Amino acid sequence: MFALSLSTFRERWQLFLGAIVTVVLGVALVQSSLLVLVSGTSYVEAVTLLAMTLGIAAFLAIFIVGSTFAFTIAQRRRDLALLRLVGGSRGQVRRLLLSEALLLGVIGTALGVPLGLVVMRVQAWLLRDLGFVPATFAARWQDWILGVSAGIGLGVSLLGVLAASRRAARVRPLEALRDTGNAARVMTGGRWFFGLLFLAGSIALVTVSRFAGMDGAVPLSINATITAAVALSLLAPLVVPVLGRFAGGLVGANLRDGVRRSASTAAPLLVLVALVLGLSGTLSTMSEAGHRELQQDLAGDFVLASADVPRVPGILVASTETAVRTSLADPGEDEADDEEALVVDADAYQQVHRRAPVAGSLRDLHGTTVAAAGVPLGVMLAIDGVARRVVAVLPESVNAGPAYLLPRDSRPAIGPARTILRVEPGVTVPEAQPADEWIANQSSKQDSTNSGIMTVLMGLAGLYSLIAVINAVVIAAAERRGEFAVARVTGMTRAEVVRMALLESWAVAAIGLVLGAAAAAGTLFGIASAVSRISGSTPVSVPWQALVVVVAGAFAVVGLTSVCTSLSATRRAPVTLIAARE
Amino acid sequence: MTNAIQRDLATAVELRAVTREYGSKQARVRALDGVSLAFPAGSWTAVMGPSGSGKSTLLHCAAGLERCTSGQVFLAGRDITNAADAELTTLRRREVGFVFQSFNLVGSLTAEQNVALPLKLAGHRMSKKDIRAVLASVGLGDRLRHRPRELSGGQQQRVAVARAMALRPAVLFVDEPTGALDSTSARTVLGLLRGMADTAGQTIVMVTHDPAAAACADTVVFLSDGRIVDRAQRPTAREVADRLAALEG
Repeated sequence: MFALSLSTFRERWQLFLGAIVTVVLGVALVQSSLLVLVSGTSYVEAVTLLAMTLGIAAFLAIFIVGSTFAFTIAQRRRDLALLRLVGGSRGQVRRLLLSEALLLGVIGTALGVPLGLVVMRVQAWLLRDLGFVPATFAARWQDWILGVSAGIGLGVSLLGVLAASRRAARVRPLEALRDTGNAARVMTGGRWFFGLLFLAGSIALVTVSRFAGMDGAVPLSINATITAAVALSLLAPLVVPVLGRFAGGLVGANLRDGVRRSASTAAPLLVLVALVLGLSGTLSTMSEAGHRELQQDLAGDFVLASADVPRVPGILVASTETAVRTSLADPGEDEADDEEALVVDADAYQQVHRRAPVAGSLRDLHGTTVAAAGVPLGVMLAIDGVARRVVAVLPESVNAGPAYLLPRDSRPAIGPARTILRVEPGVTVPEAQPADEWIANQSSKQDSTNSGIMTVLMGLAGLYSLIAVINAVVIAAAERRGEFAVARVTGMTRAEVVRMALLESWAVAAIGLVLGAAAAAGTLFGIASAVSRISGSTPVSVPWQALVVVVAGAFAVVGLTSVCTSLSATRRAPVTLIAARE
Repeated sequence: MTNAIQRDLATAVELRAVTREYGSKQARVRALDGVSLAFPAGSWTAVMGPSGSGKSTLLHCAAGLERCTSGQVFLAGRDITNAADAELTTLRRREVGFVFQSFNLVGSLTAEQNVALPLKLAGHRMSKKDIRAVLASVGLGDRLRHRPRELSGGQQQRVAVARAMALRPAVLFVDEPTGALDSTSARTVLGLLRGMADTAGQTIVMVTHDPAAAACADTVVFLSDGRIVDRAQRPTAREVADRLAALEG
C-alpha cells in the first residue's frame, strides 16, 4: 500500500501541494508558538496571543487538510474504484489514504521544523515590536519540541484524512466503469450529522456565553465562531444550489451541478470571514463596552497620573487609587494566585465612581476587609497572608473595573497610582488630564493591544485561507478541462469560457462570504448580549475596515486564480481534449 | 489449485431469472427482464446486442458489481446474490478478472506494477521474472517501466490482458475490449484472449457490439430489451452482423 501511496503522491503532487504547505505551516506555527510560550509564560498578553495562534493554527490546518483530502477523494473516485475492482478491500483503500496522510505528515514535519525556527524569530520580534514582551526577550530552542512537532505533523494529517478515508472506503467498484464518478451524493449522512452537531454546539456556546462572566464570554464566543464556521461549511452544499438559482443562466446551472466543487471553494472563505468578523467583532465590542463602562462609572472631572495631589483651590474630592500586586488564595485553598488590586480610600472612591456594589457597602471597607467581584459577602480571603472579610461585592465589569479593592488604612500602597479629582465648576488642574481625555486614552491603549493581536491572528487566518482557496480553485479547474473543451466545441470562445469560470468562482466566493458573515453574526449576537447583561447597553461594533479588506482580497485572489487556471486549462485546442480521454 | 477445481464444474457463472430495474416508480426502467443463462467453464461466451439492450448490466450483475432486483447469481460455485462486500472483495481477488473498454489501469503505476497489483492486494508476491514473462507474452517486453499515459490505447489494453493472465481468474469479464482501439490493435487483443481460452482453458464472458469480436468467441448470445432472443455456436462475423441487424431493424 505504501508503495502505491508513494507513486500516487509523485503522480498527483498538485493535488497534495496545498495540503503539504498547510501541514508545513501548521507544524512551524505550533512549534514556534510553543517555544515562545514556554520562554515567556509571565507575559499575559503574549501568552494570550500565542495560545490563540496555537489554537487557530491547529484548527485551520486540520480543517484545510480535511477539506483538501475530501476534495481529492471526489477527484480520484475512479482510481479508488479501480483499486476495489481489482480486489482491493475497504480496509486497503483506507490504508492507502492513511499512508498518504503519513507521507504528508512526514514531509510536513521535515519541512515544518526548520521553517518553525524562522517563524520563531519573526514571532519573537513581533511580540517585542507590539510591546508585549521586553526588548531583551528571546525564545529558546528545546529538544523535546522535535517530538511535539512530529506529533503535530502526523496528527494533523491523520485527523484531516480520517473522515475522507472513511468516505473513500465506500466508493463502489462499479464507479470505475462510469465516465462521471461524481454522481455521489454530497450531503452524506455524516455531513448532515456533524453539520447539525456543530450548529447545535455553536448555538449552545452562544447561549452559554450570554450568561457566563466576561472572562468566560470571550473564549466561549471565539469557540462559537469556530464551530459555527465548521457547521456552515459542512452544510454549505444545501445553500449553494439555492444561491445558484439567483445567479441564473449557465453560471447558475454550473453552480447547482458542481455543488461539491462550489462548497469546497467557499469553505475556506467562509472560515476566514467568520474568524475575522467574529474575533475582531468580539474584541472591538468588548473595548467599546469597556469605554462606555468607564464613561458611566467615572464621576470625576480630572485624572492625575500620580498620588501627589497639587495644592489647587477648588478641589472637592481626590481619590487616590494605587495598583498593587497581591497574592490571593481562595478560602480552603493553599495555592495563591497573582492578582492586581486597587488600594483606595473608601469614602473618596465612592464619590468619584458611580457603579455601586451589588451587595454590602464600601462604607465598611476599613481594616482587614476587602471588596471583591464575584465573591459572596462575609467570605474570608487570604490576601498576602492576611485574612480579609469581603464587605462589599463589586459589580461585574466588562474590562475596566477593578476586581479587588483594599482599604488604604490596612495596606501599604506602593505602585503605580492615579488620582481622580472632583473640582468646583470652572476650576482647572493643569497637571491633570480632563476625564474625557483620560477615558479616550485608556480605550485606545486597550484598542492597540487588541489590534496588535488581531493583526497577527488575521494575518495567519488569511494566509491559511489563501492557501486553501487557491488549492480548491486549482484542483477544480483541473477537473473541468473536459467540460471547458465541450463548452468551446459547442460554440463558446475561449474568452467566454474564462469569463464564465470567473463569474462562477465569484459567485462561489460571495456564497462563502455571506455564510461566513452569518456565522460571525451569531457570535456577535452572543457577545453583545453578554456585554449588555453586564453593562446594560448593547454596543455591537462591526469591524468594517477588516471586512472590506477581506471581501476585496477574496474576490481578487479567487478571480485571479480562476482566470489563470481556466486560461491554462483552455490552452490546448478543445478537440484534442475531447478526443483524448484518459 | 482452486482454479483447477472450479474448472471441473460445468458452469462458471449462472444467472437464474435475473431482473434488474433502475429508477424510481414513475421512471422505472427494466434493464434485465428474467434472464436465465449459464456460462460454461473453459469456454468463451460473447453477449451481443444493440445499445441499451442490457449487455453491460448483465455483465455487472454476473460479476457481482451490481445487485439484481430479483433472481439469483452463482459465480464459481457460490451464490453471490446477496453477498457482503467483504465476500465480493475476496471473490474479486481470486476468482474474477476484468478487461474493460476504458482499460482501467492505475495511472500512477507502471505496466509492471499494474500487472502485479491484483496479486499484491490479495497478499501474493509475484516474481519480477514472471511479470516480465507475462508482459513479454503480450508483446510489451520493452514497455515494463512505462506508465499508462505513455502507452497507446492498444498497448494499454494489452497490459490489462496481461493483468488478467497473471491473475488466472476463474472467470474473466470483458466489456467492449475493442471499443476504443484501431482494427490492428483490436485484432491483437482478440488474438490474446483467444489464446488464453485455448491454451489455459480460461473462461471468458465478453460483452460487445462488435461482430468481429463476437466471432472470436465459442458461443454468441443475443440480448434485446433485457431478454435473451437468440444464440449461435462459432458464427462468422457476417452471421453475427446479420442477426444483429435483424434485431436492430
